[in-house]
Amino acid sequence: MLPELWVSLLAFVVLLLDLKWKEARHSALGLIASLGLLPVFPMLLWQSTFPTQNLLFGMYRIDPLALFFKGIFIATAILVTLMTRELRETFEHGHGEFYLLILTATLGMLFVASAGDFLMLFVSLELITISFYVMTAYLKTDLRSLEAGLKYLILGSVASGLFLYGIAFLYGSTGSTQFADIKAAIQKNPSLSPGLLFGLLLVLSGVIFKTAAVPFQIWVPDVYEGAPTSVTAFLSVGSKSAGFLVALRILHELFMPASAHWTGLIAWLAGLTILYGNLGAIPQKNIKRLLGYSSIGHAGYLLIGVAATTRLGTTAVNFYLLSYLVTNLAVFLVVTAFSRRVGSDEMRDYAGLSRRSPFLAAAMFIALLSLAGVPPLSGFFGKFLLLMSAVSQGYLMLALIGAAAVVISLYYYLLLVKTMYVDAPTDPTPIPVSLPIRLSLYACLAAILGIGIWQGPFLGLSFAAVKGLF
Amino acid sequence: MNHPVSWILLSPFVGALVLILIPSSQAAWVRRISVLATGIPLVLTLWLITHYNRTLGGYQWVDRIPWIPSLGIAYQVGVDGISVTLTLLHALCSFTGVLVSYRIRERVKEYYIFYLLLIGGVYGVFTSLDLFFFYLFYEMAVIPMFPLIGIWGSGEKDYATMKLTLYLTAGAVLALVGLLILYGTSGLQTFDLISLERFLAQNPIPGEIQKFLFPFLLIGFGVIAPMWPFHSWSPIGHAAAPSAVSMLHAGVLMKLGSYAILRIAVQLLPQGAYLWLPWVAGISVMNIVYGGFVAMAQKDVKFLIGYSSSSHMGYVLLGIACLNPVALNGAVLLMFAHGLMTALAFAAVGHVYDQTHTRLFADWGGLARQVPFIATAFTLAALAGSGLPGFGNFVAELLVFFGSWEAYRISAVAAVFGIVITAFYMLRAVRTGFLGPLNPRWVQLQDATVFERVPYLILVSALVAVGCWPRFLTDVIGASTGSVLKHLAPLQMLAQR
Repeated sequence: MLPELWVSLLAFVVLLLDLKWKEARHSALGLIASLGLLPVFPMLLWQSTFPTQNLLFGMYRIDPLALFFKGIFIATAILVTLMTRELRETFEHGHGEFYLLILTATLGMLFVASAGDFLMLFVSLELITISFYVMTAYLKTDLRSLEAGLKYLILGSVASGLFLYGIAFLYGSTGSTQFADIKAAIQKNPSLSPGLLFGLLLVLSGVIFKTAAVPFQIWVPDVYEGAPTSVTAFLSVGSKSAGFLVALRILHELFMPASAHWTGLIAWLAGLTILYGNLGAIPQKNIKRLLGYSSIGHAGYLLIGVAATTRLGTTAVNFYLLSYLVTNLAVFLVVTAFSRRVGSDEMRDYAGLSRRSPFLAAAMFIALLSLAGVPPLSGFFGKFLLLMSAVSQGYLMLALIGAAAVVISLYYYLLLVKTMYVDAPTDPTPIPVSLPIRLSLYACLAAILGIGIWQGPFLGLSFAAVKGLF
Repeated sequence: MNHPVSWILLSPFVGALVLILIPSSQAAWVRRISVLATGIPLVLTLWLITHYNRTLGGYQWVDRIPWIPSLGIAYQVGVDGISVTLTLLHALCSFTGVLVSYRIRERVKEYYIFYLLLIGGVYGVFTSLDLFFFYLFYEMAVIPMFPLIGIWGSGEKDYATMKLTLYLTAGAVLALVGLLILYGTSGLQTFDLISLERFLAQNPIPGEIQKFLFPFLLIGFGVIAPMWPFHSWSPIGHAAAPSAVSMLHAGVLMKLGSYAILRIAVQLLPQGAYLWLPWVAGISVMNIVYGGFVAMAQKDVKFLIGYSSSSHMGYVLLGIACLNPVALNGAVLLMFAHGLMTALAFAAVGHVYDQTHTRLFADWGGLARQVPFIATAFTLAALAGSGLPGFGNFVAELLVFFGSWEAYRISAVAAVFGIVITAFYMLRAVRTGFLGPLNPRWVQLQDATVFERVPYLILVSALVAVGCWPRFLTDVIGASTGSVLKHLAPLQMLAQR
């Protein structure tokens, strides 16, 4: 429990300093929060040397999958904190509390990763979601931010309700909320009873809301557009990864013996999600809306790996999330640096970015190509693994949809590249990039290229994380 | 000289990396490094082709590093007679392309970075002996075209570059799905081309699956070949691209498609090939005749050469479809000769366009008086394209005709008729553009300087050398086409019975 305790302590320190320090010094809190999260990585490494542990009577488990996702969450939180610090001028006041909310959401994600009981899982998910409700509506004078917050609140509550209702059915059918008991019950009788099946459907609905996949994806573009940019980044990477983690836990760990009941459904949802996200992205004019739709598309790709129900498929999901983390956050870092100086998220304002800031334009170029899945970048190998798992399971149609969507996504990403590189800037003043953002971008770009070219170790990492599941 | 193939592959990438690090104000150094990064592979490739063991045949200078053993992926490069010939073509076109790019003045550093990445990707495709890396380099060769045409191109470049990139990527991902099915059904769990070839020769994939799988690879790679009706990206792409990119694009990139069809689809799926290639023989006639007629109607020189390229690639497809050694040797030789010829033509057109800013040859008129050297170069390219003896194209086309007469008579007749069409529009282009009285608008036109003549001389002398001494290449090519056809021999006997 060491990382969780450390993050709680960090949140407490940030809360105290926020009360004690004057508003002007609050940007230092961002540095404290982000640097304070760094020591979690060695803790996770240290924990990974032990075999799987069950704590608190099975409520809490520390297994390789949990540790892998905790690493993803912490890396996301560090970069999101730095982005928030970059955007401090846009918050009228109280930006110190924002770091606290990032830390509580991160804490919730750490709990989700290790939850071994449905009630524990529900409470941890609520901790994430409630932190996000506040963060989404943080720009108090911006109507779009308020609208986003309200939408996320209402739809999020419905999803939480469905999830809780589903837990009730699972409890009613198996007599327990513990993962171990439910798993045993399903293994004993893999032809699911109607109550159990209904419970699974309801729980899945709540999870799919988190992952932003069809049919619970309608909120995404509006919320992504209205929320502060760093929150959008957090939602698109952290919250989505948490959703997929829960999906893997429920479907691959608990309901694997009954896979015949749900793989078809997930495969359909994957295909529809890929098409919805990528086709919807084409007409977008606002970059955050565009990224919203594209993140729906990526959720669809990840669902391919869930539907595959093989070791390769699950490994592919983990690898894809790893690559998606560095790639999508690189895009959001550029968006953050750009909107701080230019004050706009409209794609037409990116015209001539390659002359105003060659570094930002090049970073955006590489990250967008990686999102589209162009070799030798990390996104390519993730898509390659997912398509491979689809073909090996006989989902040929799904593989073809995934392949076609690469072409569609390349179209809208390249339109933005064209705007940045070919069009003439309306305002030729250079855009300076602050040191934390520059360093973070270097790290992300190195990771995009590194994971893409030297895939072996990262594939090994993703593979090690799924060993407990199969 | 322990790993010549890897050095060839690495040097453009290392060049691009060095360019990223040096400041963009050092344009002269940017150019020097690019010349070096493409010159080294040229020298190495010349060494390879003269030292390739013709009696032994097969893959030589193979380098292998296990990359992801759990999935059967390895970095494996090497060349056989077919790929060493195409590597030489690429080395010649890319080196002369860098020289021709001396006229680029805007954003020089970025231009050369993308150009070197493109060059490296193409080397990768021709030398990879692992299907994963093959695909990786293939897609890497496509993407740099987008900024190269989008930023430094002309005319309808926004539309052209998007169309080109999306068409080629669509083909690539279709082929990728095909490769993944191949991986799944071979039962070997490896992307290693050499072991796959050996294994599938003994344990072929079931005929039904081959029949189903072959179109994935044929159409996927056929898009870049460019096989009718998927060719429409190509003329418009050529027309919009800067001339050095057109040279590489028409000269080499199109050959990636026919090379991939030959190396992967035909070689690994012989039964599928046997079933589907008669269709390709028919389609190739559409390429030749339809492409030729469309070329005839063009008023823009670059569009003319673009359509003529897709017409000429029809001969290559026809040669592959015949599945006999004569036609196959002809097809590979034609890839080589056509690449040089079309690069020469695009270089010459680019030289004129940079000064006149119009490519309608009705606007040109009598340029031979003003730029005799460039006019000569273009005329030589036109004559080579029309199949005049003395140039490599003549020998290659003759081989394709002989081979196809045995296999598909109707296609062969149509293909010979295609030569007449080619001669018509090529000679007309020379006449209206370069001969006759000089259009008074162009009295300021500058001919190529001594330095600028170097790339033209390289291309012309290579073209003539192959025309006069084709055995130099056909021996190398023939050493490998035999092994491609070896898998097919039993099937053909079966059909004759």
